[in-house]
Amino acid sequence: MAATFHLQVVSMDGLEYDGTVQRITLRSIDGDVAILARHMNYCTAIGMGTAKVILEDGSERSAACIGGMLSMMNDECRVISTTWEWKEDIDVERAQSAKARAEERLKDQQLDKEARVRAEAKLYRALVRLGTAGKQQ
Amino acid sequence: MAAANMKAVKLRIKSVQNTMQITKAMQLVAASKLRKARDRAQQSEPYYKILKNTLTDIASGNNDFTSPYTKSGSNDKWLYVVIAGDRGLAGGYNANLFRYMEKETEGKDYTVLPIGNKSVDYFAHRNVPILTREFAEVGKVTISDCFEIAKLICEDYRNGEFGHVTMCFTNFISMLSQVPSGTAMLPLSDFVKEDVDPKANKNLILYEPDSESVFNAIVPEYLAGLLYSTINVSVASELAARSNAMKAATDNAEDMISTLSLNYNRARQASITQEITEIVGGAETNDA
Repeated sequence: MAATFHLQVVSMDGLEYDGTVQRITLRSIDGDVAILARHMNYCTAIGMGTAKVILEDGSERSAACIGGMLSMMNDECRVISTTWEWKEDIDVERAQSAKARAEERLKDQQLDKEARVRAEAKLYRALVRLGTAGKQQ
Repeated sequence: MAAANMKAVKLRIKSVQNTMQITKAMQLVAASKLRKARDRAQQSEPYYKILKNTLTDIASGNNDFTSPYTKSGSNDKWLYVVIAGDRGLAGGYNANLFRYMEKETEGKDYTVLPIGNKSVDYFAHRNVPILTREFAEVGKVTISDCFEIAKLICEDYRNGEFGHVTMCFTNFISMLSQVPSGTAMLPLSDFVKEDVDPKANKNLILYEPDSESVFNAIVPEYLAGLLYSTINVSVASELAARSNAMKAATDNAEDMISTLSLNYNRARQASITQEITEIVGGAETNDA
């Protein structure tokens, strides 16, 4: 049995997960990281991607995880994320329409810089959601 | 005389009744909105708590000052984000918060970023420098507004406009008690001052890719998160304060109406008695 540690995941929508896990993998701003038990004190900023959590019983759950921070302090792992949506909770239709809308906006050549950045961010978020839900074409 | 007095009392009853109708309606509206606001506040509570704990841990263990966000204040200018209500008639909700602000800012060189109409009015009236009035309506602030505010604060902070950023809001303790309080936002070293634990040993933390980019990435986000959750809590506090104040007003109006009705009935009784005495008196003189 693999060693376990305590993981808390919070997003702005509330406490998403609080329990013991074997491993969490997610994408930081610097690439993918996996955290195992007894990891040294660690802190990184979260990028955009699919997070995978291996629960105590070895089953796996995945979620769309965007923005925020991960900290591992004295074997307590806290993921404070701006968005954390479990795979089963993702609204695929909404993400698809968001993706279409963002793509439409990006086609506009006259788009000013700020609007472009915003539309790109929307597109990435939609893509992460779709990727996590496994519905990406 | 009695008739005029009766009329005056009757008018007074009517006016109190009208006021009572309004306060009762306001109480009901506040109470029904409160339920939703409390749910929202409760939802964002764990985020706020865990975020704050984590930052306190990091700040107390931090001995890396490469990021401008971690260094202790470069100058003595303060920015206060003050979250008040949009409307009055909420008991002491706004007044208490401003009193707390007065005490907090005494002798400091400060600018405010008011959120909520009452907050804008108050500081404009006092000629306190205001950073922006864009977010005047607290009821309409969304998550993306919070991100915008956070970005604005970060930019000004990095340009050295302010050395410290603090936030004043009203904490929702229970339905009956809402307490104005403040929390540090920037720099991170301000977090440590709040709950000093001399035994807290300095932990070594690995930052990846490096502390500066980590802080630069997370600070705007944590500011937005902090703002959003405290706004939720403040809105719940405002509604609770209003619901309580309006309940008190309605109860008061009821008391007044019952006293006034008593007076009215007494005056009516007195006038009837007087009439009878007059008739009896008249009949007696006729008989004689």
